[in-house]
Amino acid sequence: MSNERSAAGEGAARRAPEGRIGWLFDPTLVSVALASVAVVVAGGLVQVSFGAYSMTVGEAWRAVLDPAVLLDPRWLLNFLVGEGLMRSLTGFQGELPELAHGTLIVWNIRLPRVFVAAIVGMNLGISGAIFQAVTRNELASPFILGVSSGAGLMILLTLVVFGSLSAFLPLIAALGGAVAFLIVYAIAWKNGTSPVRLVLAGVIVGTVFGSLQTGLFFFADDIGVVQSAIQWTTGSLTGTDWAQVRMALPWTIVAVVLSLVGSRQLNLLLLGEQTAKSLGMSIETVRFALSGVAVLAAAASIAVAGIVSFVGLIVPHMVRNLVGSDYKRVIVGCLFVGPALMVAADVGARLGMSVITGADSQIPVGIVTGLVGGPYFLYLMRKQQNMGEL
Amino acid sequence: MSIEHANATDPDEPNGPTDASETADAGGEGDASDLDGEDLVLGYPNASEPVIDGESIAAEPGAVTALVGPNGSGKSTLLKGLATQLEPADGSVLVDGRDVHAMDTKALARKLGLLSQESTSPNSITVEDLVYHGRYPHRGFFERTTDDDARAVDRAIDLSGCGHLRDREVGSLSGGQKQLAWIAMVLAQDTDVLLLDEPTTFLDMHHQMEVMEIIETLRDESDVTVVVVLHDIEQAARLADRMVALTDGEIRARGAPEEIVTEELLAEVFRVDAEVVATERGPRVTPIRARHEESE
Repeated sequence: MSNERSAAGEGAARRAPEGRIGWLFDPTLVSVALASVAVVVAGGLVQVSFGAYSMTVGEAWRAVLDPAVLLDPRWLLNFLVGEGLMRSLTGFQGELPELAHGTLIVWNIRLPRVFVAAIVGMNLGISGAIFQAVTRNELASPFILGVSSGAGLMILLTLVVFGSLSAFLPLIAALGGAVAFLIVYAIAWKNGTSPVRLVLAGVIVGTVFGSLQTGLFFFADDIGVVQSAIQWTTGSLTGTDWAQVRMALPWTIVAVVLSLVGSRQLNLLLLGEQTAKSLGMSIETVRFALSGVAVLAAAASIAVAGIVSFVGLIVPHMVRNLVGSDYKRVIVGCLFVGPALMVAADVGARLGMSVITGADSQIPVGIVTGLVGGPYFLYLMRKQQNMGEL
Repeated sequence: MSIEHANATDPDEPNGPTDASETADAGGEGDASDLDGEDLVLGYPNASEPVIDGESIAAEPGAVTALVGPNGSGKSTLLKGLATQLEPADGSVLVDGRDVHAMDTKALARKLGLLSQESTSPNSITVEDLVYHGRYPHRGFFERTTDDDARAVDRAIDLSGCGHLRDREVGSLSGGQKQLAWIAMVLAQDTDVLLLDEPTTFLDMHHQMEVMEIIETLRDESDVTVVVVLHDIEQAARLADRMVALTDGEIRARGAPEEIVTEELLAEVFRVDAEVVATERGPRVTPIRARHEESE
């Protein structure tokens, strides 16, 4: 015993110089981030090059890096915050300078879709990571606590019954998800909650809302409405542009900051309720607040892309397998891997059909994430002894 | 035995190794914290009958109090009640005279630490990171770890003798090594009162002795008030300054180990016929046979 004790002194105060962001420079985390950025850039380039108006990769590069946009704050602001806000910010009243045809297509149509995909991937990644820690369940996804079923039901209600409100569909869907989450929480609450009660309540609410949602399909008299409903409920990025970026970006920033701030609490939750409590955590408050952050992230992604399945389940798994279970690293990893998966899947969703069948049609990206994610998950499961162990 | 007797702790009573009781006495009058449970009624939400029905317990400041009793006697429940893991249906828990339920959770966690019987953690976390979690109640929401934290962690790792495990992943440790790591985490919490729920159960002899030595060091070298649930009555007698024996949720006896570990009490509380021989290292208990209802 005595020699064991003397050995303890060697590691003394090793932690101090690491500081607040030292953990970021973990070699695995950095390589995961770089690899993900490479995937996003490659996927993004494919997305901007191909389509009805085809360009070579060189042309696409030139269009993306067109100085007429990149060096003109008016154009950048026009895209990022919208024309009205741009004019009041810069005081510019005239016509914006003309852009080349290729640049217009890339910047107006193709690039924003890549950004939306990245934002959705980020949101779903952190949302799933948070829910997996809060419920201490590795099968938890952003939609485990009724969020998807609430959003899905509201989507169907809006499209089928309250057609006049469809302009507000993104907001209504996100709200529906948040309300369903509150219902789940209320059902699970009995002198406090527990992970198991929360998941069970989520399953119950999901089943009821799912049935209502399916029932509503019978009242849809128009094939267009049905297709639109399917697009929303499986998740699609078709037709997204800067308006979607502007809608989701502020919430995404809030959710990302809050989840990074909350990562220490998440780490503590992984030690189990009893330990967290005996270390002085107000466990119910923390659990509800963190779930709220996760729902915010999920709602932001639902508002722009509908209910994209599987990304939120699989991204945290991939990240944990690569960087370990420290949630600071897991959250940061999700911010990179989520976009990589989403952008890559959207390449398949947008261009896959035309490659396979030659038809000029797109499929919802949620179908691709399911098709890619499922086998990958299976591969992970066969390979790992302890699947994404929390 | 009455509650009055237990609360009227006589610090001059000769108990345990002499140097230890001196330290304990000094602590009793000095900085060591009081932990009192008053008329506690403790139960579980789904059970109609409370497990503990109106018992009071006072831990001697700066000393080690051991809770012993057969399975299901409510000793762990009582400890959970003291640790505020269980909300008492009635009665109150006081640390230094303040009601714990009125205290801020983090302030309480700086006063009172608990090592649970079963602890779970992610396998890939290192021992050092686990021990750093013990500093949680000392850190503000945005605060990074300070030199104080680093010192407390080093001291905790040193005291629990797991310096050689510091960079190992918890998942790769044996049961005994894990327990040492968890003890280091609770020690890093740097509390005045420490509650340990069966810290030696399931450990091999070496690790049992390690854990015992840690508790002895705590008693001898600091003012920590320790309450420990122990399964092994010999261990309890050897380690504790005071013992509290429970059966069926009632406190049957309390006092110095020599008063508690007697053949009569073993028969009454543990329902065994046993031979108790006093030795240098505390009483030696040799169980002879279990008592059945008809033999009483």
